[in-house]
Amino acid sequence: MSGNELNRRGFLKLMGWSAAGAGLAGCDLPSTVTLEQGKETVLSYLSPEEYVIPGIGVWYASTCMQCAAFCGIHGRVREGHALKLEGNPDSPLNRGKLCQMGQAGIQGHYNPDRITQPLLRKDGKLTPIGWDEAWSLIGQKISNAPGERFAWVTGTVSGHQAVLLAAHTEAMGSKNHFAVEVIGPHVGRAVNQDMLGEAMPRLVLDKAKLILSLGADFLGTWVSPTHFATEYAKFRSGSRGMLVQVEPKMTLTGGNADMWVPIRPGTEGVLALAIANVLMKGGAKVPEAAIAAVSAYEPAKAAEVTGVSAERIEKIAALLKEHSPSLVLAGAPVEGHAHGYQAAAAVQLLNIMLGNVGQTIVSAGGFPFPQLAAKSGSTRDLIAFADAAKNQKLDVAFFYGANPVYSAPHFLALPEALQKIPFKVAFAQFPDETAEAADLVIPLASYLEDWGTHVAAYQPEEAGITVQQPLMERMYNDTIGFGDALLKLLKLGKSEQYAAWEDYYAYLRNAVATLPAEYKAGAANDNAFWDQTLQKGVLKVAAAAQELKPQVPEIKLPDVQPNEGYPLYLVPSTQLGLWDGRHANLPWLQEAPDQISKVVWDSWAEIHPATAAKLGIKEDDIIEIASEQGSIKVKAYLFKGVHQDVVAVPMGQGHEAYGRYAKNRGVNVLKILDPVIDAKTRELALYGTRVKLANTGKNEPLVIEGRGNNSQRGRKLVVTISADQFRKTEGA
Amino acid sequence: MKDLLRRWLLTFLCVGGFLIGTSAAASEAPTIKYPVPPPGDYNGDVVEQPIEFPHDIHTKVNKINCLYCHTYGRRSKVAGIPPTSKCMGCHRVIATDKPRIQKLTEYWEKRQSIPWKKVHDVPDFVHFTHERHLKKFIFDNEDLVQNLSVDTVAPVCAACHGDLREMTVARKVKPMTMGWCVACHEANGGPGDCWKCHK
Repeated sequence: MSGNELNRRGFLKLMGWSAAGAGLAGCDLPSTVTLEQGKETVLSYLSPEEYVIPGIGVWYASTCMQCAAFCGIHGRVREGHALKLEGNPDSPLNRGKLCQMGQAGIQGHYNPDRITQPLLRKDGKLTPIGWDEAWSLIGQKISNAPGERFAWVTGTVSGHQAVLLAAHTEAMGSKNHFAVEVIGPHVGRAVNQDMLGEAMPRLVLDKAKLILSLGADFLGTWVSPTHFATEYAKFRSGSRGMLVQVEPKMTLTGGNADMWVPIRPGTEGVLALAIANVLMKGGAKVPEAAIAAVSAYEPAKAAEVTGVSAERIEKIAALLKEHSPSLVLAGAPVEGHAHGYQAAAAVQLLNIMLGNVGQTIVSAGGFPFPQLAAKSGSTRDLIAFADAAKNQKLDVAFFYGANPVYSAPHFLALPEALQKIPFKVAFAQFPDETAEAADLVIPLASYLEDWGTHVAAYQPEEAGITVQQPLMERMYNDTIGFGDALLKLLKLGKSEQYAAWEDYYAYLRNAVATLPAEYKAGAANDNAFWDQTLQKGVLKVAAAAQELKPQVPEIKLPDVQPNEGYPLYLVPSTQLGLWDGRHANLPWLQEAPDQISKVVWDSWAEIHPATAAKLGIKEDDIIEIASEQGSIKVKAYLFKGVHQDVVAVPMGQGHEAYGRYAKNRGVNVLKILDPVIDAKTRELALYGTRVKLANTGKNEPLVIEGRGNNSQRGRKLVVTISADQFRKTEGA
Repeated sequence: MKDLLRRWLLTFLCVGGFLIGTSAAASEAPTIKYPVPPPGDYNGDVVEQPIEFPHDIHTKVNKINCLYCHTYGRRSKVAGIPPTSKCMGCHRVIATDKPRIQKLTEYWEKRQSIPWKKVHDVPDFVHFTHERHLKKFIFDNEDLVQNLSVDTVAPVCAACHGDLREMTVARKVKPMTMGWCVACHEANGGPGDCWKCHK
């Protein structure tokens, strides 16, 4: 056996032998484990910077773009390659921490399925073309200026990219910028705006003595989870704060709660009003507009609706009264219904009644550069875009940072609608479903190769702009940065004011260097300020202090209608991992077990054991979940952390494209959502879908990391005692 | 100007050579302790390099210290191939008529890295660091530091790489297997924990 022919088994055998050899103290066994000589090239530097030492990493500051929280990162670069990402300690958002999605960013950058050259649809197939052809085609299509018949479809954008994007949309004579994002507090922002005067006020977790979270998974998937995790640690240390979580399906936050209460989906608003009712009886002042709504829900009545007992409701109210100030949060399960706005308003009412506004909910201050502020994506824009496409209102659509073809439920019929847009250009890194449906694909640089500035929608303290700089040279010469692409488009449109900028770097450098002097304290000149900004990665811009002015609208909650045909509620749950599906092509995140079920590389449906027993379903059975809009087949996972009326399937899998790791794996739960839309905000009601289950009679084991069992099998592994028994025996 | 530079450089090298020569003589003092070499040899392939770099001329004839070119070894896990700028530091004026130097100059002028072929390597799951080994055997070795020269340093490098003073391009002459590493660690008091190398 020669070194080159070693297979894995032979290799391990040899390793075993050489380890044994080591054990035999100096017994020098001959070994054939050798590496190739003279095959690999080792390139030296031509004339390196003085601080560059091969083998020793240099850390650069940049911005994470794995979700819309825009945490600051440090990237370790060695021999010209980015190797590891960590949180930037100077970023007030994440304070040196980085979640697993951020860590996995490096796998997007080195992903083998990246698009490396422009592609044009020829005879139905995307075929490589040159850049000249690509730009001249775009130039030609947009010179027949479609005006309002042009649209940008993006994810959340902010910073100077947002400025250029707005300039380009305007230059096209259009107002159509659809920012699409499935996950996010879309309804909550509107409620905050109306009730507090600010869409994203700052939450002071560590000042709260109790957090009542109605489905807000702030440790996992809500708004800025890495930031809240640090704040939560402060909240739990010292005089330990109490966490009560009420939700239809246990989230990571729910798993950490002191009291976890399952609730029937869509009734969270009722619970909030019932708690308000108890507080009102205890003497709390209820704002005029809400008195009728609060009076309508006695705990006993609310118990019937929500499935949470009256005693439990009174207990939560008592805890809130005891622990002041507190903080009450509304998450996706509250917002995701036709009455989502009303329900979220009912939750916010509690904060106002409990006097939390001004204590644990404070103003984030105005942001001094509104043009840089985040244009947060929403599902409203997804629906609006699908409508515009369906009604043939668009001739040209540009896509960036969003995958509407994957995200759109069947009822929006987006694939068919897209065919009515004659020219679709995807600015994409990966061949996702939207890029596969495009006529022209412009290959983008990864976010670790690109310039940019970002402004998070949620600002924890003094407002900050996070700066994104390339950690390394572009891997593929034929890719282009998004900012560069925007500049090119503006120049194509003959916007002369941009002719001065050779590239996006020049534009950005000038934009940052010419900020008003008040933001440049401590820098000798503009160049020094630029260097300083890049080193820090965060640019603090003072925000004008404001005061929140609580206002309460009229709150009206509908009665819950039973649905005989579709008795269960579908919960499309969110993981800090695959997120809305955008990370399904990153093997680390596929491999990272779900925080609750520990399932890897697959989709699954969480069902309460009692419900499963009623329907004759066992774990690992393949079940069919059907809504009026279609059905999915998925393996069952029996779990007591879901409400009995709920079946929960995580978002993120079920891709029909998107590279080798994502394609044809699991199911896309978003597809079978019912056409339920929040009446006030026009957001898609993600939790408003009713389903029925059927056992297909087939089964296949789920792959679960460290698969365990809830039963102790009589072995008393964890010894428990009831509270009553404890008092009796310990005399407490 | 170029002449002046050449004259200066030659003077420098002569004086340097003299100094190195005297210290080389001192190096033969028997006080310097070297690592006990583990048994075992390896008959490696002759690897064809883009430029047939003569280690012997640099070290044996011109007495240039190994660490002058492989300067990263004392600070990093890799000893590093010297940057082309370092080669050109001398070869802008020295031996410019030789074909090998002309080839080097060509790479330099085209601003291209020289595609050297890797000869010595350990698998990715082995965390080997030159820095630690050089610290122990060279920089913490008081007698050696007092007599620092190519002839005192080369025996340390030779423990793993063979005596480069006798080679042109590098050739693998030691097994570089785990058993061989462990034998050396045992003979020279190196750490025996798995995780020292397999992190």
